[in-house]
Amino acid sequence: MTMIEIEKLRQRLKEIDLEARKIRDLPKADRAEYGKKINLQKQEVLNEIKQLEKAELDNEVLPLDVTAWSGVNEAMPEFFKTEIGSMHPLMAELDRVIGIYQMMGFDVIESRQLDDEFHMFDALNFAKEHPARDGYDTFRTEENLIPPAHTSTMQHRVLKKYKSTLEDTGRLAVVVPGRVFRNEDVDATHEHTFYQCEGVYVSRDCNMAQMLGILREFFEKYYEQKLNIRTQPGYFPFTEPSLEFMIEKPKGLGGKKGEYLEMLGCGMIHPKVLEMAGIDPGVYHGFAWGGGIDRLVMLRFGLDDVRYFESGNLNFLRAFK
Amino acid sequence: MKISLNWLKKYVKIPETVSDDELIRLIGARLVEVEGVIDETHKYDNIYVVRVESCEKIPETHLTLCKIDAGGELVQVVCGAPNVREGMLAVWIAPGAVVPASAKEDAPFVIGKRKMRGFESCGMLAGADELDFGDDHSGIVEIDPNMAKPGDKLAVIFELEDLILEIENKSLTHRPDCFGIIGFAREVAGILGERFIEPAFLTHEDVFPEGFLIGAGKHDLKSKESDLKVKIADNSLCGRYTIASIKINEEHLKGEKYLSNTQILLAKSGMKSVSKIVDVTNILMLLTGQPLHAFDYDKFLKVGKSESPNIIVRLAKPGEKLLLLDEKEISCTENDILITSNDIPVALAGAMGGKETEIDENTRNVLLESATFSLFNLRKTQMTHGLFTEAITRFTKGVSTGETFNVLAEAIKEMGAKPLALYDAFPGWHEGIMVNVSVEEINTLLGTNYDEKLIKNTLQNVGFEVEKNGSYLKVFVPIWRTDIHIKEDVIEEVGRLLGYDNINPVLPLHVTAFANREWELKKRIRNLLSKYGANELLTYSFVSERLLKKAGLDPKNSYKIVNSISPDLQLVRQSLIPSLLDKAFLNEKLPVNQFAIFEMNKVYRKEWGLDKEKVPVEKTQLAMVLADRKYNDKTAFYQAKKYAAKVFDELGINVQYVPLKQKIVEGLPFEPKRSAEIVMDGECIGVVGEFKNSVKAEFKLADYLAGFEINLDCILDNMNNHYSIDLRKREYRDLTLNSKKSYDEVVRDIENVLKEHEIEASITPVSIYQADNSDEKHISVRLGFVDFNEKIMNVLENLY
Repeated sequence: MTMIEIEKLRQRLKEIDLEARKIRDLPKADRAEYGKKINLQKQEVLNEIKQLEKAELDNEVLPLDVTAWSGVNEAMPEFFKTEIGSMHPLMAELDRVIGIYQMMGFDVIESRQLDDEFHMFDALNFAKEHPARDGYDTFRTEENLIPPAHTSTMQHRVLKKYKSTLEDTGRLAVVVPGRVFRNEDVDATHEHTFYQCEGVYVSRDCNMAQMLGILREFFEKYYEQKLNIRTQPGYFPFTEPSLEFMIEKPKGLGGKKGEYLEMLGCGMIHPKVLEMAGIDPGVYHGFAWGGGIDRLVMLRFGLDDVRYFESGNLNFLRAFK
Repeated sequence: MKISLNWLKKYVKIPETVSDDELIRLIGARLVEVEGVIDETHKYDNIYVVRVESCEKIPETHLTLCKIDAGGELVQVVCGAPNVREGMLAVWIAPGAVVPASAKEDAPFVIGKRKMRGFESCGMLAGADELDFGDDHSGIVEIDPNMAKPGDKLAVIFELEDLILEIENKSLTHRPDCFGIIGFAREVAGILGERFIEPAFLTHEDVFPEGFLIGAGKHDLKSKESDLKVKIADNSLCGRYTIASIKINEEHLKGEKYLSNTQILLAKSGMKSVSKIVDVTNILMLLTGQPLHAFDYDKFLKVGKSESPNIIVRLAKPGEKLLLLDEKEISCTENDILITSNDIPVALAGAMGGKETEIDENTRNVLLESATFSLFNLRKTQMTHGLFTEAITRFTKGVSTGETFNVLAEAIKEMGAKPLALYDAFPGWHEGIMVNVSVEEINTLLGTNYDEKLIKNTLQNVGFEVEKNGSYLKVFVPIWRTDIHIKEDVIEEVGRLLGYDNINPVLPLHVTAFANREWELKKRIRNLLSKYGANELLTYSFVSERLLKKAGLDPKNSYKIVNSISPDLQLVRQSLIPSLLDKAFLNEKLPVNQFAIFEMNKVYRKEWGLDKEKVPVEKTQLAMVLADRKYNDKTAFYQAKKYAAKVFDELGINVQYVPLKQKIVEGLPFEPKRSAEIVMDGECIGVVGEFKNSVKAEFKLADYLAGFEINLDCILDNMNNHYSIDLRKREYRDLTLNSKKSYDEVVRDIENVLKEHEIEASITPVSIYQADNSDEKHISVRLGFVDFNEKIMNVLENLY
């Protein structure tokens, strides 16, 4: 049936080609218009043929007994060999990261991958139209939704969700792993898609010394050694004071003395951010941080190209058992 | 932004005990990240001031044979510049020296002795471009005889042994005051624990003759005699607009031919020398962070067809045209702020001046503007017109209104000009900010133990005024600190200037946390599937329209990125399967012949709508695609089903696999005749199956191909950790039945018989055989009896 229809359409295509030749008999002024019309007709028929051929291709298929566990006259299927299996290094390492934070008492909430202006900026004390918003190179959808450029997009939600925990137990401790996006040129050290982990901690008497203590603890546990740390002033509208946290690159990972690496941004949560989530900044203080996971993992494994991670290349992935 | 350390040191004294390295480290630790340091300490080695003693034209060339005095014997140099002449002081790059402009290149150019047209040339006389002082290639530079003598080292005369700090502008978004050497120096003083001495010109001025100015310092200051009219259409556009008409001193312009410190400082800061008048405005901007703009006074009147300057600051009308200094004509938007002469646009405020009122060599009367504009409007202007000038870079940080007048006065002085009239419109005037903060609050938030005196000094060193008020400190914020509003801002100042690295890290006491169930679920699946030979991968959340169409999905159902990097990353994905099929192709080509790739990630579809937070409904999916080039005669479906079943088995979840309803397959690449719906508690939670032939053809994939996609959100509540371990001894028997029924129907019939006879037995599949000429299948299963009796086998064997 389909074959006959396709044949008919092919016939029609020939007719259109014949029609097309008449273009020479037309006055020059009309030729462009005529040509366009003929081409349009031709495209339509070609599309119809393609659709029918596709349907025909799909029609050839024989049905299966999907309730069975093996094919007819076939041996039972088997799993592939364990040796070729692998976990994604970023995910497996993120599991370790989360594990360390959990031991330190942090709950886990995963970050969204499509969010709005309110959570990405407004709730984090970015003034409307403030140039600080430009620093994030955000993507936007037609609806003005934002694939988040940082996991801080979850801060407001975390503060609201754990407000009652804070009031009951006197503290709130959550980490937020997730995928983030920046409109950046991609090279060996920059990806438009990468992973971050955010930390949020609130209590009545928390301070910067505790923040530095937690961060040092994390990095020492993650890299399984004592580390020298350093900070430098930073600027984020949602923390006050704001700083960048650095570690001295461990010798075992190819570091030289005095070679410091920026690992994350951090600071004491801005009172307005607490207030917007309904937490009284007169009673509670907080600190928060956020840093890239890709870089953390690259340093641990000595990887030199961030693009491997989302390449889907099995020759890379199977190296990670 | 580039900061010359030599220039900086003119405004802040660095103790000898602090080395440059230490200073740079302290700046990094207590002010802003130093991205890089350009070392120019040897850039001008072996370069000298010389006098040209004789000049002789080399016939039939543009070259001149010169004898120069480099402080000793005369040296012969061939020079190609038109401006070389006897008696001038020039700059000589001696043989063996590196040409400074080439110092950054991979192979710096070393000057030697060489023959030109048969004449030996020993080294070269340098132009501004070769010395890296700009791009002027019109001739060699000339040195003011009042500044140097032959044989002097150029580096000494102009203090060229320098370190240039590179600062990322983004890191100082909140600190407009640090976009000038003085503001930066103030911070350095504070970091070193020293009181900053404000430069004289920022605190008082002696530019204007006695009685020239009238009015208070804060509102609408003006000159007694003034024909300047300033109107600001909307006070939110412009916080302060100070303008003066001035007459340039001819004598002052004469020094323009000599190499100047100004020219060098501009070059070090990454700017170009333009003309004496413009250079003064630029140097002051680099010094104070306050941009200035100079209009040619006479051209200004001509454009506005007015007798005296009538300045109106207003929003542009959409489409209003203006030819800028860079000779590009822009079409304004209603967001742009314009400076107009009698309502005719003459400058795009804060961004760039207009061509029609440009300063040129004939300019003698100048309108000098020193103003601040709305950073929000300018930010949009910057984006709309792609203008990233030094001025707009500063304005978009929110330059304070405090210094327009002082900087303007200093500019008049530097230009050696005579002020004719001045007008200072100041609609943005406000009382200074005062913040109350206690020593205890500061120490509580930082985790420190700083005493009151130290805190007070630290703040006073950088221009805060501090008064004690009971247990509180009243901190008065200097006008240039537009970033300080609340006590946390003041606490940051204290912590930062005294060094965060001096805070002793401590660990708060914790209780352990509850595991996140979704995260744990993914971890279990990751461990499980990788153990069974599958490979976890990650693919982008954005896909192309083409990819969706290839997989039979409707692109209209995807959220669309309007500023995507490329069409390949334009749509937010609705399913993980198309990305996995794409990667399957990539891997088959590598070639990797056998793989089961899986991903756990989030997807979105417009049709799912918004959740209660008014953001799109998000679903977390697990998807797998498996392929094997060696197995082309086998049915891939059953291997994919085996993987899916393993997951559910591990999680203790009971599901059924039922033939796919057409409705579900719409918008998915699965072949309905060879796929199953995965049903849990009557609800479809995923699909396992092979792909349509057309999809396989589109993706150019091998025949043995199947996969599944499962929604993980809905299985969270059904997971359990129960093991039903049964150690009872069983007796096993194989049973083969001939039937046209499906496997499930046959198993159900067996179960019914066992139930009737109250016999307990496990049923596991063994094989399915079908002869070529038959439409009946032989379905074999293995029965594991707890209490075996022969009779039941008889009944079962005769079931059909």
